[in-house]
Amino acid sequence: MSRALAFLTRRKGGDAWDWTDVFTFLWLGSAVFIMFGPALWLVLSSFKSPAQLAEFPPTLLPYEAQTVVVEGFDRPLPLFSVTDEAGTRTLAEVRRVGTVAQMVDPENPGEVQRVNIANRTPVREVGFSWGNYLDPFLRFDFLNYTKNSIFVTGVATLITLLTNSMAAFALSKYEFRGRGFVVVLIIATLMIPLSVILVPLYSIVSGVGLINSLWGVILPTVATPTGVFLLRQYMLTIPDELLEAARMDHASEWQIYWRIVLPLTAPALAVLAIFSVVWRWNDFLWPLIVLSRQEVYTLQVGLNAYAGELNVQWHYLLAMTVITMIPVVLVFIFLQRFITAGIAGTGLK
Amino acid sequence: MGRIQLHDIRKSFGAVDVLKGIDLTINEGELVVFVGPSGCGKSTLLRMIAGLDKPSSGRIEIDGVDVTPRSAADRGLAMVFQSYALYPHMTVRANMAFGLQNTNMPKPEIDARISEAARMLEIEPLLDRRPGQLSGGQRQRVAIGRAIVRRPTAFLLDEPLSNLDAELRVSMRAELSALHDRLGATMIHVTHDQVEAMTMADRIVVLRAGKVEQVDTPLNLFNRPANLFVAGFIGAPGMNLWAGQAKDGAVQLDSGARLPLPSGVTVPEGSVTLGIRPQHLRPMAGGPVRAEVRLIEALGPESVVHGDMGAGGTLLAVLAGQPDLARGTVIELGYDPQMAHVFGADGQRLA
Amino acid sequence: MTGVKGMLGAVVTAPLVALARVLEVPLRLWQRLTGQGGMVAFFLLPNMAIFTLFVLLPLVINIAYSMTTGAALFLPERTYVGAAQYERLLRCTDYTNLMTCQEDQFWIALRNTGTFVVLQVTLLIVAATITALILNRALRALSFWRAVFFFPVLLSPVVVGLIWRWILDRNGVLNAALVGMGMDPVNWLLERNYAFSAAIGVTIWAHLGFFALILLAGLQAIPRDLYEAAEMDGTKPARVFWRITLPLLMPNMLVVIVLALIRAVQVFDEAYVLTGGGPGTATLFLTQYIYEVGFASLLKNPGLAAAASILMGGVLIVLTLLQLALGKRNERKGRLK
Repeated sequence: MSRALAFLTRRKGGDAWDWTDVFTFLWLGSAVFIMFGPALWLVLSSFKSPAQLAEFPPTLLPYEAQTVVVEGFDRPLPLFSVTDEAGTRTLAEVRRVGTVAQMVDPENPGEVQRVNIANRTPVREVGFSWGNYLDPFLRFDFLNYTKNSIFVTGVATLITLLTNSMAAFALSKYEFRGRGFVVVLIIATLMIPLSVILVPLYSIVSGVGLINSLWGVILPTVATPTGVFLLRQYMLTIPDELLEAARMDHASEWQIYWRIVLPLTAPALAVLAIFSVVWRWNDFLWPLIVLSRQEVYTLQVGLNAYAGELNVQWHYLLAMTVITMIPVVLVFIFLQRFITAGIAGTGLK
Repeated sequence: MGRIQLHDIRKSFGAVDVLKGIDLTINEGELVVFVGPSGCGKSTLLRMIAGLDKPSSGRIEIDGVDVTPRSAADRGLAMVFQSYALYPHMTVRANMAFGLQNTNMPKPEIDARISEAARMLEIEPLLDRRPGQLSGGQRQRVAIGRAIVRRPTAFLLDEPLSNLDAELRVSMRAELSALHDRLGATMIHVTHDQVEAMTMADRIVVLRAGKVEQVDTPLNLFNRPANLFVAGFIGAPGMNLWAGQAKDGAVQLDSGARLPLPSGVTVPEGSVTLGIRPQHLRPMAGGPVRAEVRLIEALGPESVVHGDMGAGGTLLAVLAGQPDLARGTVIELGYDPQMAHVFGADGQRLA
Repeated sequence: MTGVKGMLGAVVTAPLVALARVLEVPLRLWQRLTGQGGMVAFFLLPNMAIFTLFVLLPLVINIAYSMTTGAALFLPERTYVGAAQYERLLRCTDYTNLMTCQEDQFWIALRNTGTFVVLQVTLLIVAATITALILNRALRALSFWRAVFFFPVLLSPVVVGLIWRWILDRNGVLNAALVGMGMDPVNWLLERNYAFSAAIGVTIWAHLGFFALILLAGLQAIPRDLYEAAEMDGTKPARVFWRITLPLLMPNMLVVIVLALIRAVQVFDEAYVLTGGGPGTATLFLTQYIYEVGFASLLKNPGLAAAASILMGGVLIVLTLLQLALGKRNERKGRLK
């Protein structure tokens, strides 16, 4: 606590608060609120029941109305706190007629009291609507969407790592005619965005029969020039003497690739793997175009379709948004230290 | 102008005490060198004088005025950084003018000062170039020029020669000394190189682990080191330091050798360390210092002999010429006892 | 930490290692038969085949595609119409009134995208610069603060869009806050200017951390010595910023600006999920126009979409070349240093 306080009151010069200190304080303070706030609000909201989501103004935490089982009634009755001339007490509602509610004391179920509904408020306590999370998996296709997303992300990342590293190896460690041309070609296409080649790409993917197939989502994304470029830059720093030493030891070129160069490229591969996972998990526009049948939707496309329905069921939508966010948040928590550790751990510059 | 006094300067970073109470007076026009092994706090002390860091406690006075609470800009000092810290996007001229423009000095005055400094440092042809286009030595001059145009009360130089190659370092050393003579300004120079300290300084401040070990002229440091640390740090190759028991005007080493102490000083009986500079040993048949030759570094005019005295004692001797010695032979050396240094069990000088 | 790293590494590499072992013997044979050249071909083949089929080929046939018409998907089956699609996109009877254009949707999308690019990039760069300057103030817990700003960068556009749709909802938390402060609630996503501002704000929220990090790296590369030298020279903070920090940050700044421009021109997914292009056409941007014309609308016109994408590609190529040129210049400068 004292450390936190010392941190909060730390100033630049140490003498007086100048305006930059105040500004820094305000900027960072509001940043925590604006950057984390929305995601936190999403998570809190995702645990609310539909009735609670419809409330305005909303409550911060999710609540559940309390019910009680009273002798002589089949259903559990909702509990209310009643305040009127007779004082404050907790009653269960039997039924409501107009502005008057018929209520009973759970301790004394025989006597029915009539209470004006203006005088009662529901008794609630913090409670989580786990159904928001379970139902979409059990009753809708979200389990399927999740499987599809995991498949696309995993397979695309594996193929990306394999093909990109093989190409990067050839382009960094062998001299051959046309090498310069291929490298220039790859760099030139680094910045070509998907949106520019959307139409012809669709015609090609449909030509090879991959519309509405997860492979149609995977293949166009795996030959990323970015990955080849990143890995090649890294492999260029591996001394050629290592390869020559291996050749003296009768290693085949394939062995040189996977026994020597790949392990030394691990930090760059890890970075590419992380980014590939995030990219493929988050991909939206291309899957949206290729996948038009529900059973092949990825999470992102499924979410969008769900959000586009006329009567949006926010309680399910919010919960599924949280689910979609989780893998990326997990990656994020480890990412920062991971990359620095990866670079520091190699000993190679 | 340019008298700097430090009173009980202390600095801690968290639990680590970097400076443990420094008292020092630097006189007007003096060239003082702070020297010590890395991590001794010499650069921290310089930055404290500059005003870039604030001491945890203590007082800094310039010309009798307490400047401790003042910012770096208000102390009237100029600093030459180890990396030179030239603004890479400005020409040499703009680099030198930048600080003067901050004080709203009229342009003719700025131009006059820059051309004067450029002439003095012979960097006139470089004025319109950028630091990236200059060699290491040229950058060094520009950095000094940037300090000169400010006409500071004192110059602070933080290892300014350490980024130069050996040859350039020797010539810049001489130039800096000449510049000091010409400007007559107070200069504080920080270095870890004791040769640089010996050749440039009016006075040397030897620092170790945040404390001043000794302050004196270079020759006094060499001739009368105040303690074991200074004795070992100043002079190359380093002084022979042999531990033994003092008795009857001589020191008895573990190896059995009896080495005479200087006459005219009283050394109490007990553990002492005897120090003899390698240059003060000379061949003497039947001399008190006996060692088996391990290695000979023949430098031409002189030879450095590494020897083994037995019982863990090692010997370093600088002998004139190219004596005909073979590894494994035993040499016998003697010395003038008046040239020997004696340090007590606490490491302080006895004689 | 090491555990996670090791696990992740093992999961990723295990199938690859198994594959590599299986391939060892056949590939040794292949190498004996074809020599090193054959091996190079083998290493390049998978990536280059996919690259050619799914990146190069579409790039090349896009131009041909834009000169055809009809609903057929395969190029050979399509009717050649020359520049008719471009004419259709660009022709207006009165260029001061977009409603008189033949493809008024395209022009609206163009105007929206132009406005968006100018406003979003300006605000984004200013905010990212301020953030980077603040993070560079030798803060304690820097990695925490970096995380605060970087966190939304990794979120998927759909998630970002939905988070903000929920907050900006008519009965959302933002309106609750407004009502709580005694103001009237606002229909954020159903009023033109508010929806457009929301698209700008949300995309800035999502990308701020990325650009701030690049700028922060640039700031951290400026040696501390220079600031200390300036301090010794008695330089005022504002002058330090304008004369030292900003000029030395300029190379990174230019790269960041071009990158932000390239991204802003392509704006689609966050905005699409947030507003769906509405209300009306208030937030219809170029990429969404291409998507709708090419795929989503009832009257699909892939040729027209291709033509529009080539016009957009032209803008992006100019920006990309600009970035490459800047990169080259920085490299040259770096070598001089």
